[in-house]
Amino acid sequence: MATLKITNLHAEVEGIEILKGVDLEIKGGQTHAIMGPNGTGKSTLASVVMGHPKYTVTKGEITLDGENVLEMSVDERSRAGLFLGMQSPSEVPGVTNSDFIKTAMNARLEEGKSISLFKFIREYDRAVEDLKMNEDLPHRYLNQGFSGGEKKRNEILQMKMLKPSIAILDEIDSGLDVDALKIVGENVTAMKSEDLGLLLITHYQRLLEYINADFVHVMMKGKIVKSGDISLMEKIDQEGYDWIKEELGIDDERVVVKEEEEKVMLGTCATKEALDL
Amino acid sequence: MNLQYQKQTENKVKELSEITRLTTELEDYILVQDGQIVTKQLTSDFDDLVVKTYDQALKDHADLFTKLSKAKHPKSDAYLYNFEECNSGLLIYLPKRTIIAKPLHIFYVSTKEEFTHNTVIYLEDESQLNYFEHLYSEGVGSYNYVSNAFVGENANLTYGALSNLSKDVASFVYRNASVARYGVSNYRLADIGDAIQLMHQTTNLDGEYASGTSKTIAITSGPQEARYETLVEHNAKDTEGYIEHYGVANNESALIFEGIGQINKGMKQSVARQSNYGIVLGEKARLDANPLLLIDEFDVEASHGAAIGKIDEEELYYLMSRGLTENAAQRLIINGFLSPVMSLLETDVLKDMFLKRVEEKTL
Repeated sequence: MATLKITNLHAEVEGIEILKGVDLEIKGGQTHAIMGPNGTGKSTLASVVMGHPKYTVTKGEITLDGENVLEMSVDERSRAGLFLGMQSPSEVPGVTNSDFIKTAMNARLEEGKSISLFKFIREYDRAVEDLKMNEDLPHRYLNQGFSGGEKKRNEILQMKMLKPSIAILDEIDSGLDVDALKIVGENVTAMKSEDLGLLLITHYQRLLEYINADFVHVMMKGKIVKSGDISLMEKIDQEGYDWIKEELGIDDERVVVKEEEEKVMLGTCATKEALDL
Repeated sequence: MNLQYQKQTENKVKELSEITRLTTELEDYILVQDGQIVTKQLTSDFDDLVVKTYDQALKDHADLFTKLSKAKHPKSDAYLYNFEECNSGLLIYLPKRTIIAKPLHIFYVSTKEEFTHNTVIYLEDESQLNYFEHLYSEGVGSYNYVSNAFVGENANLTYGALSNLSKDVASFVYRNASVARYGVSNYRLADIGDAIQLMHQTTNLDGEYASGTSKTIAITSGPQEARYETLVEHNAKDTEGYIEHYGVANNESALIFEGIGQINKGMKQSVARQSNYGIVLGEKARLDANPLLLIDEFDVEASHGAAIGKIDEEELYYLMSRGLTENAAQRLIINGFLSPVMSLLETDVLKDMFLKRVEEKTL
């Protein structure tokens, strides 16, 4: 039974502090949900735990079963049992879904060993069926040309195959229609066990109709400001977040985030720009 | 026809262990070494195909040569030089309505100081060929290679190429296609060698509804300099041309892509598209892409773009978040890049060689 412990976590991006002291403990068998309006630092928390290179941790610690997570690289965190279902997964042309997962599963084994192809195909096909995805999925390129819903289901599929001990699902419900949400909900619920600690990040209540949460947290201004059980979610559902803001004397719940770095546009000039000429 | 082609003196053919290794498992292949067909191993699927060296072809297929000399020649001096002065030449001829689905692998090997080769591929109307060439050199010096493909009406040519020339070679490769009405040409060219390289591919869309696709994949490493040009010229209405360039520049190498989609006046409803993808691996490496559109007609569709930079950090992060080491993730992304040519390599021996070379060049 794994335990992920986050203590007084501070993190910044490009010199701007986004997380301002997050405390959270997730144990195997528990399901936590973090709610809160947009721009309060929820997704940042998920990215920091996974080790996104954009963020710098300035204070605090994260441990997984006592091991210091902050000292691990992204891939080491994954192999230690962490999983992050991403809000907007990358598209990787030329890499097929099955090749990718196979490589990821082999990375968990001792060097030189690899999983049996037969077993892998059987397991993969079953997961594809469970998530009601197209049969051609293994041969399609990773997330390329996928609809929003397909991408999210593909994240859950990867989680099924990799069997993490702590899984964070970052807005897995956004962009999903009701049917897809039901499929995702059922599959995640089916995976619940004493060996899996779950953290759901969402700003819609409807995800929690399909996946039962034991603990509900509200995040504002880069901190967890309120925790409770499912009744907290029900109260938010009816009354919104304003009462919490009033109770805590918060005017604006957001932490300021600058717009992302400008993307290099297409064209010859961009080539030079990209090469910094 | 004024052709200077001379039969090679009957030298004893040097056995090349590397080629022997690469051709194991291949069912159908031809080995052309310094102008002679050394091995020709073709199953009955290829019975209708004519493959001759120029000296043989001049004897047995004089009529074909007359026909070729009347066919439209590209406007290039290099082309003519290579046709008249070559010391190695191959004619590949497919009669009308002949469809060969199995790929034909041809290895062009030079062991001499100078290699000047010319290949003519002639597909009569409604025929179909899947051709794959391998360029190798055991020698030091120049490797000049020109191929001209004539794709007849409603004919279909898939043209794969893999060049793996050593760093002691300066190489010039020029591939032309002329595509007639409803014809289709599909070029997928990969360069994984270390030679100083100029590679050019021109597709002339000469008949209405003709279409041409040209994908080039190149990896440069070390002090290598290489330039890859692709030109699709629309000489008829309703033609479609697609250019794709994929490149990886490592170490202090320089890689240049130049793509030109040219739609001439009056060639209405034509489509010209082009995209360039590049990964700059080396700190001192340089990768340029010049995507050009030369359009002299209003009623057309055209687009061009280039995306060049370091390996996408988000992609890397995504793959690593599933447990892949940085190295493995990078490898997967680069190999993914190369999949258009990878998918054409049939045997494990060829695939392994390709991946090994890619790994060596991208370390």
